[in-house]
Amino acid sequence: MSERPPHTESEIVEFVRSIDERAPQQLHDRIEALVAERAPAVQRRRLTPVRLGFSGAFALAAVVVALVLVLSGGGTGLTLNKTVALTLRHATMAAPAENPHDGTELAADVEGVAFPYWDDRFGWRSTGARIDHLDGHAVQTVFYARGHSQWIGYAIVAGKAPAVSGGVVREREGTPYHFLTEDGASVVTWLRAGHLCVVAGHDVSKAALMALASWDGAGMLNA
Amino acid sequence: MRDALRSEPSPDLMRTLDPHSLNKHVDRLYRAAWALCGSREDAEDLVQETFARVLSRPRVLRGDDELYYLMRVLRNTFLTSLRTASRRPVTAAAIEDVVAADPKPTNRPEQAYEVQEVYATISELPDNFRLALVAVDVLGLSYREAAQALRVREATLTTRLFRARKQVAERLGADVAEIRREDTGPSGVLSSEGTS
Repeated sequence: MSERPPHTESEIVEFVRSIDERAPQQLHDRIEALVAERAPAVQRRRLTPVRLGFSGAFALAAVVVALVLVLSGGGTGLTLNKTVALTLRHATMAAPAENPHDGTELAADVEGVAFPYWDDRFGWRSTGARIDHLDGHAVQTVFYARGHSQWIGYAIVAGKAPAVSGGVVREREGTPYHFLTEDGASVVTWLRAGHLCVVAGHDVSKAALMALASWDGAGMLNA
Repeated sequence: MRDALRSEPSPDLMRTLDPHSLNKHVDRLYRAAWALCGSREDAEDLVQETFARVLSRPRVLRGDDELYYLMRVLRNTFLTSLRTASRRPVTAAAIEDVVAADPKPTNRPEQAYEVQEVYATISELPDNFRLALVAVDVLGLSYREAAQALRVREATLTTRLFRARKQVAERLGADVAEIRREDTGPSGVLSSEGTS
């Protein structure tokens, strides 16, 4: 290291970059304890199969992921073949819990775009989740259920959103929502903070989908 | 050394964060937090809070960008702590609140003063400047990674970094000059008196 204090700007930058102070051992110990305490729960969420309604959730995931591609424009790199391959995967995660810091969100997000917490407001509880990868785009899907017969899959695609076109377009608060039906499932897709979101469900009206999709947590919209 | 644990992120590959992989970043985060806070004790708290946030739920990362992601969370935690502190009533510190100096503050005792001085100087910069400098020079992120972590354009990051480095240099240069004057003060005074 330098034998005299750094004087010039370049010397100071070099000095700053050369500092290799180790964190105190007690901090290392506390972090290790944190990891030991919380890692099992984090990994359990990631690895535990969803028992309730697994097949329904899986089927909806296939629908949701496929529709992302149906609606995507050219040049995104997303292909139908890869989507089909995705639908053959069965990695699942347990349902994300309510975000303890925000009662309108679940403790799951894609690049900062969080999945909504609908249970208290609409009676839709989260039942499971999965993460797939489409040509470099991570697609995280959270599944919701109401009662024993209604299911919804809510997918958020990571990265720059592909172009969305087609379907019946309705606009709310300046945001266009594209509606269509696929394999008997009602589907709505739109953009949130530049991320493509897709919600698909059986036995769910388009009005209900619209209310869910456009709900911003402020309680302004009706189910 | 500083880049031995890192590799360029694969921009398109997404994966979930392995909590056990975080331990290797503690030292680097600690240095970043120290430079942000200017105090080792506050840095420990900031690092612990940062890891607690990261570990609160499963995380999806892009490529191998753990450090970039940690910097983003560190930044958010730091800014939140600043806002919280600004709302807190100001109280005067009692003598029993003053933390005794760590008898072994550094691996190289001869550098302890310099490191503390430099980090303290960085911590006095405006928030945006110090975050830029910490992200690039302390944490070792690329300009692109740093810009993404701080949610600014790369050009903005570059400008802030340039100004931050300049201000640190100026402030440290002033300190050095003052120390020199103090060291040579008595003889200088005598000399001055002798010529008058």
